Amino acid sequence: MKVYPESCELLIPISYGSTEIIETGKWGFQKPEMVLGAAPCEESCPAGNPIAKFIHFVGEAKYDLALETILKENPFPGVCGRVCFHPCERDCNRNQYDEAVSINALERYVFDVTMNQKPLLRPMLNNHPVRIAIVGAGPAGLSCAYFLAMLGHRATIFEARNEPGGVLRWGIPEYRLPKTVLKREIRRILELGIELKTGVTVGKGLSMEALSRYEAIFLSPGASQSLTLGIEGENLTQVWRGTDFLNRINAQERIRPGKEVIVIGGGNTAMDVARSARRLGSAVTVAYRRTKKEMPAISEEIEETEQEGVHFEFLVQPVEIRSLPNGRIRVKFQQMRLKKGSQGKRPHPIPIKGSFLNMETDRLIIAAGEGVDLSWVPTDLIEKGFIKETFSGGKFFSGGDAVNQHRSVVTAISSGKRAAISIDLFLRGIDPEEVLSKIGIGSKGALSMEAYMRGLERGIWEGPKSIVGFDKINTLFFKPSERIKLKKIPSDQALKGFSEVRRGLSSGEAKESASRCFSCGTCNECYNCYYFCPEGIVSLDEMNHTRKVDLDHCKGCGICSKACPRHVIEMRLIS
Amino acid sequence: MREFMTGNHAVAHAVKLCRTPLIAAYPITPQTPIYEKLSEWESSGLLQGIMMRTESEHSAMASCIAASLTGVRTFTATSSQGLALMHEMLHFAAGCRAPIVMANVNRLLAAPWGFWADQLDSLSQRDTGWIQFYCENGQEALDSVIQAYKIAEQVFLPVMICLEAFFVSHFMEPVEIPAQEEVDRFLPPLNLPHRFDIEKPGFLVPVVSSDLYRKYRQMMQRAMDSVKTVAAQVDDEFKTTFGRSYGIIEPILVEDAEVLLVTAGSMTSTARMAIQTLREKGYPVGLLKIRLFRPFPVEALQQTITGKKKIVVIDRNCSIGSGGIFCQELRAALIHSPDPPFVYNYLAGIGGTDVTPDTIGKIALDAIRRVDPADESIWWVDV
Amino acid sequence: MKSPEQQPNFLRPGHAACAGCGLAVGMRLVLQAMGPKTIAVIVPSCEGSIGGVYPNTAYGVPTIHSAFEIAAPTAAGIANALKIQGRHDIQALAFAGDGGTFDIGLAALSGVAKNNDDIIYVCLDNEGYMNTGIQVSSSTPSFAWTGTTPGGNPRRKKNIMEIMAAHYNPYSATATIGFPQDLQQKIIKAKRIRGTKFIHLLSPCPTGWRMPPELSADISVLAVETNVFPLYEIENGVRWTINYEPRGLPVEAYLLKQGRFKHLTSEQINQIQQDVNEEWARLNQRAGSSSSKDRTSRSTKGFKHGKK
Repeated sequence: MKVYPESCELLIPISYGSTEIIETGKWGFQKPEMVLGAAPCEESCPAGNPIAKFIHFVGEAKYDLALETILKENPFPGVCGRVCFHPCERDCNRNQYDEAVSINALERYVFDVTMNQKPLLRPMLNNHPVRIAIVGAGPAGLSCAYFLAMLGHRATIFEARNEPGGVLRWGIPEYRLPKTVLKREIRRILELGIELKTGVTVGKGLSMEALSRYEAIFLSPGASQSLTLGIEGENLTQVWRGTDFLNRINAQERIRPGKEVIVIGGGNTAMDVARSARRLGSAVTVAYRRTKKEMPAISEEIEETEQEGVHFEFLVQPVEIRSLPNGRIRVKFQQMRLKKGSQGKRPHPIPIKGSFLNMETDRLIIAAGEGVDLSWVPTDLIEKGFIKETFSGGKFFSGGDAVNQHRSVVTAISSGKRAAISIDLFLRGIDPEEVLSKIGIGSKGALSMEAYMRGLERGIWEGPKSIVGFDKINTLFFKPSERIKLKKIPSDQALKGFSEVRRGLSSGEAKESASRCFSCGTCNECYNCYYFCPEGIVSLDEMNHTRKVDLDHCKGCGICSKACPRHVIEMRLIS
Repeated sequence: MREFMTGNHAVAHAVKLCRTPLIAAYPITPQTPIYEKLSEWESSGLLQGIMMRTESEHSAMASCIAASLTGVRTFTATSSQGLALMHEMLHFAAGCRAPIVMANVNRLLAAPWGFWADQLDSLSQRDTGWIQFYCENGQEALDSVIQAYKIAEQVFLPVMICLEAFFVSHFMEPVEIPAQEEVDRFLPPLNLPHRFDIEKPGFLVPVVSSDLYRKYRQMMQRAMDSVKTVAAQVDDEFKTTFGRSYGIIEPILVEDAEVLLVTAGSMTSTARMAIQTLREKGYPVGLLKIRLFRPFPVEALQQTITGKKKIVVIDRNCSIGSGGIFCQELRAALIHSPDPPFVYNYLAGIGGTDVTPDTIGKIALDAIRRVDPADESIWWVDV
Repeated sequence: MKSPEQQPNFLRPGHAACAGCGLAVGMRLVLQAMGPKTIAVIVPSCEGSIGGVYPNTAYGVPTIHSAFEIAAPTAAGIANALKIQGRHDIQALAFAGDGGTFDIGLAALSGVAKNNDDIIYVCLDNEGYMNTGIQVSSSTPSFAWTGTTPGGNPRRKKNIMEIMAAHYNPYSATATIGFPQDLQQKIIKAKRIRGTKFIHLLSPCPTGWRMPPELSADISVLAVETNVFPLYEIENGVRWTINYEPRGLPVEAYLLKQGRFKHLTSEQINQIQQDVNEEWARLNQRAGSSSSKDRTSRSTKGFKHGKK
């Protein structure tokens, strides 16, 4: 007789079912939502560089992806990684925590490690290409051509000089931007099928009329004429122009500026001139009418200039230059004081009556700003010594240093991108203003090419991402850490020639620098949302490279949102 | 092979013969020699398995339950306070339907302190769902342990083998040790269900609804009821193999008896002598030994007792406020008898006090002289 | 390599833990690191609520809901049975709360540790009897409010790690859900060690700690960064390694986010800070005296684990 059950599972209760049938998601009154944002650094980058994303790839040692990510928005990572004034680092959220992420150095690193690779660029197909002309193969013109090519257009660039590059080629010295780097980047751009015609000057080789026959024209001739001081003695042979001087050096001319050189100016050109002169064996003094604080040059440049033994004379303005019998010149400087600028403008220098300073020197190089050669430009395109920013209506577009905007490589790239998009919209017959407002990154003017192209594909442009400020970052998940100091070759060695002064990051340094990035607004797969989910219901959304949540079981605790260090998840109330 | 040994060592031999691989125990007088003997064999390799020297009886039982559910044969031994400490886990073991076998050496419960024989410790655990056997001597203890595994592993309920402190646990008697091969044949290698299956993960002992709880309790009760039959069958099989048997109850000179003494445990041996003397003197006295206490063998007892005039239950235990526990249970079992006998309850041997054949003789005569029934238990003290 | 979320999960959703439950996070991370060849023991506590009502369960490995004080000997019984069966590939894992570990199950745990039975014991410490509705345990920190210490807990939290170290068991470690990789690494390390392994896992309870549920992760990071709950491990009871060099934030950063501490006076906060400082100094002394080499390498950031 067996009255007890045969099966042991009937003897005692054993649960084999799953609680998954219980929809605990009904408990919650809020649900997480993935909201990708933009970082302040990205908003500040005029070129709209997807910084958080490329740095994430650096952290994962996926350098090819990092390069391709940058190239979506900026054709010049090798150049920008060296010469950019990097406003991104100024606005980096990490500045409010410890020190900014080394964005600039990381950008250079991406270029340097992928130097010998051919990145995969995916231009759009365009079955009806039209002819677009670009005047000037500087950073603005090349960028415009690059982005036009990405949008499926064919551009022809007319360049007056015998080589492309503009200020990158002829202005910036080798020790800051090696020519090999520049050549590599320009080659990558031109390989997209861009026609380059060098030695063509508008008004000479190419008439304005002929130019006007193109469907759209982008004017970016740059600003290569050193401004004059308008003082006596300015035309003496001992007085040189800064741009000429840099030009000659970049053209490999062997020149000797003299034993003692005075450089007038406080911008990047002045620093380039001063440091180049040092390399050519001169003792150099930079004379600037304001103080160091007001100098427009990049602070690292000023610092390096000082380190290389350049002497600075502040609050002085040249008023007269006289030739001396010994072949030298005497420069008379008016001494200045600063008057507080109004409305946040920088202080204004005012002469101190009767106070002068005389200096004798072999050479004076004027680097107090550059002007635009407007001799060939139709008057209706000129405004106050610049080419107009002719963005609404008409087929003319302009950008770069020839228009009235901040003069930097990255701004030039930005204007090239803006023009390319505007031209594309012009050719499509769409009002650019409305679209441009939707593809911006934040509100500082940077545009996202990716957002533009995605909009083209989808037929609609979504609004810009919101900027993730420091208050949205959960810093608990970041240990304070020091920014890596870039290594440089010692000054005494640097002065022996024109080899590059700054060394790039080592792979270890790059990894460490990348790990410091908060990735504000960008999912960098840190898995916090997954690790901290009490339900274990966060999974990978392969499509969008973000996470997704099983809402049937999400109780809405909000840990994923709170513990997302970079504010990619927001809790939304459900009705 | 016949050896001269204590009841404790007889139990240890049984455990070894059953090839029980997992033993968890904690020392307590007077059980300790079982633990020591098994430890000694484990150390020397005579006993293949693991001896878990736990920090308490409670943990020993916890480990036995877990190991049993994992699918191995387990054993523990304890006594008195140790058993009381295990109380929570005794319920748990039975509820988990874990076929654990335990030896309990019956010792009084504090306070006050003492080490002497008293069955209250195990009888206090009568509601925990454990099968309980009360053994008369070392031989029976040894044999009962072997039988216990065979029963437990059929009905999936744990078994407690009870032997009284010193009278059984420490008294040396000749004990027949069965041959290993014979035990192996009687008790084939264990094939318990493995409740933890990594291929089919389940959650054991979950929270259940009231209805389900009732259902599982009912199933336990049914399994427990079946023990009366299963235990008798196993005892028969045992007899076939080893030539010894005990029954779930044992009637001695019952047929022509008018007065029936009822005992459990070592007192039975004494009573066997006492009734001889009483018979010689012409008193129609018989004896009934209760070996299986849980489940209580109601039907067998009813059959045996039908027609008797007086039943005299001698209890070496007292449920304070109610009296001897064997008696309570027996009275309840007889309530529907057509002509119910007077059931007298004598409390003798409590706290290990000596119960001689003479004592039992006097108790029997006292009962024979009585004309009225007595509800109260009678505290017997030899005068 | 598979990303963490592509690895199998052995705590299924649909369980009944409160929203934001730190203990559920802890169990999930532990079970994931353990893998499928695990038999788990849970005891009456929130673990039981998570276990689910018959016939459904959240546990994806074979699990038994044992009695309150016997997580350790239950796991030990399973471990030894597995050893007898020759199943050396399966590990026994015990989960118990702080009540089941520091209080009612302390003797049982001690017994198992003394025998060095081969189990991994994870104490899910939420610093009180939370399943029964927030009562004080010997793990409740100083001055904390509970239902049975309405005026604040007058006693300090028991130092369970010192107690474990006194058993000279092969491995004991602290962990919190705030440092998930550290936790999982410790579980993986424990799996490779034979004997009794003890993981003291701080598991925030938003309900009992009187804080918003989204704070569970943050608060466990803060517990470490304020030195209230340092991350360290003890090998064989003698070799101490601090795994993470915290920022050493003031204790307020941790305390003031929790309602259970909202009544604290500045003297009480100072007292806690002083206790924390002393404990941290003592811990450093121990880590320093047991291995001077680790100390130097630990001064750089990141994690440092004892020899494998």
